[in-house]
Amino acid sequence: MAEPVRKVTLSRRAFLKSSAGVTALAAAAAGLGLRRSAIAGDTVWQIDPDKCVQCGRCATSCVLAPSAVKCVHAYDVCGYCNRCGGFHTPTAKVTDTAAENQLCPTSAIRRTFVEDPYYRYDIVEALCIGCGMCVKGCGSFGNGSLFLQIRHDRCVNCNQCTIARDCPAQAITRVPASRPYRLRGVQGRSRDAQV
Amino acid sequence: MSAFGAVALFYWLGQTPVEVIVPNVPGMDGRPAALPVRDSVRIGTIFENGPGKPSRLPGAWPSFRGADFANIATPSAPLAETWPSNGPPVRWAVDLGEGYAAPAVRDGRVYVLDYDESLKADMLRCLSLDDGRELWRRGYTVQIKRNHGLSRTIPAISDRCVVTIGPRAHTMCVEAESGRFLWGIDMERRFGTRVPDWYTGQCPLIDGNIAVLAPCGTNVFMLGVDLATGVTVWQTPSSGEWKMSHSSIVPGTILGRRMYVYAAVGGLVGVAADGPDRGRVLWQTAEWRAPVIAPAPVILPDGRIFVTAGYGAGGMVFKVAREEESFTVTVVRKFGPRDGLACEQQTPVYDQGRLFGVLTKDSGANRTQFACADHDGAILWTSGKDTRFGFGPFMVAGDRFLILDDDGVLTMARVDAERFLPMARARVLAGTDSWGPMALAGTRLLLRDSRRMICLELGETEENL
Repeated sequence: MAEPVRKVTLSRRAFLKSSAGVTALAAAAAGLGLRRSAIAGDTVWQIDPDKCVQCGRCATSCVLAPSAVKCVHAYDVCGYCNRCGGFHTPTAKVTDTAAENQLCPTSAIRRTFVEDPYYRYDIVEALCIGCGMCVKGCGSFGNGSLFLQIRHDRCVNCNQCTIARDCPAQAITRVPASRPYRLRGVQGRSRDAQV
Repeated sequence: MSAFGAVALFYWLGQTPVEVIVPNVPGMDGRPAALPVRDSVRIGTIFENGPGKPSRLPGAWPSFRGADFANIATPSAPLAETWPSNGPPVRWAVDLGEGYAAPAVRDGRVYVLDYDESLKADMLRCLSLDDGRELWRRGYTVQIKRNHGLSRTIPAISDRCVVTIGPRAHTMCVEAESGRFLWGIDMERRFGTRVPDWYTGQCPLIDGNIAVLAPCGTNVFMLGVDLATGVTVWQTPSSGEWKMSHSSIVPGTILGRRMYVYAAVGGLVGVAADGPDRGRVLWQTAEWRAPVIAPAPVILPDGRIFVTAGYGAGGMVFKVAREEESFTVTVVRKFGPRDGLACEQQTPVYDQGRLFGVLTKDSGANRTQFACADHDGAILWTSGKDTRFGFGPFMVAGDRFLILDDDGVLTMARVDAERFLPMARARVLAGTDSWGPMALAGTRLLLRDSRRMICLELGETEENL
């Protein structure tokens, strides 16, 4: 997965959010010892990309803000197209990086020219809120290389995942903690897939 | 304390909340301002004879959507009502370069504009309808990079000639029997055509002794080329604003006037197809502005034209009106992909006074279902949530529909204005992306996946009973 590349300095909003994040992280850390015995080596929550309907609730139902759900890109499934259903709005007249032509509400997808006619698309995880808009576009008009996953470096593994509770497609279930991701592409075909 | 608070608030408000703003503007992807000039292509320079012989089998499918551009085939004999569990018998199969290029058939010969990945060449292959053996191949070297396949058009055949359009808009005309090269046009170089994303999808049109092309270039929008000589007979000027789509020119008679209807990226147009003003724009509208258009327009009775596209475009219905030699066009209905018949890659079929097609993936609960719509594009019924398809082709064969899904599963179904009645279903292709349109000649069905074309016998043979 791509590393965040955008240079963003601290804003008021980011400061307030990071403060909340630190508080949440501290609370999570405090609770971690209590719940570790219950979850370690057992199961964690994960999204089945084949069941996901990109309803948008992953972005809003998670107890974390931003959500523990992020978009993941299976590069070996991607078509590297100039017009990308995950990056561009369906009605974009011009396939460039102008804001009005981008589908992602937080500009969390970086597009890079490779060579004519190929473009590479990377997820900027720091900006991704897990709304799934790009996933819907990619699935509708592309190869389906973009999909949502619960990131276990963020997820606090609640006993009852609020996203799983709200998911209209029952796409979120517990999976073995030893295989915590349900990937697509070459990695998805490996039993012991890891991000 | 309050003074301190006021100072703190003043200081806070005085600070720039974000020091670095990264605006999303064009050019952030590192795309060069100018891409390298395409290499010059010498069209028609490769030729090779093969061992095949033309078939005596009946039937023809001479162009995209057949002889009358309706995608409705009349079999030469009754078709079987059922198939064996593994599908109708396969008469022959040939490997193809990756893509969606589909065949046309005439006089026992099957023509397909393949891409030869080893030679890196567009290659028009002439095969026997009997056994798939090659009679000859004619082509030219051209660099094509895999971009959702390599090939994607269907030749057009007259009694003497075959015309092809390659992925990078190279047009080639050869003799249908011998494969002798007649002429070629590089539309990108000659007219300034902008080759669409994922390469050219426009299938050539032959109208009498004229090849009709829509280069949508800087100066020429559409033109007619003499089949025998390659000389331009007429042309429609272009403003350069409307670009080539993946759609194809459809000939038809609207309100008593023959015209060519074409959906460019930018708008829909009707061009005079006969008379002294052949090539003149009779009417046009910029109301149809889908950025990616693959389906061809469907000409309906009473001056109506139905258009659809994917990428969220949905569809529209236009009505052309005529007053003497003056034509106008108005919008009858516009709808999104959830609100009417919307197809992404294949052109809907107009039959029995209804429109039929497979809905797009963004058509909500009805996504990828086979659907029947009225002449306004309003859905009347669908095949149901348990009977979905994809981007694959569909056509009418006699009294039934044939529908191919993405992964090579072929469905035969009786369809009328009321309902969808499946008759048989079988996996006939092993591969993926079975998107190339099908062709039916006699009782033989030609269809392909991304790598292989097969010929099925659909007639009432012992194997099918």
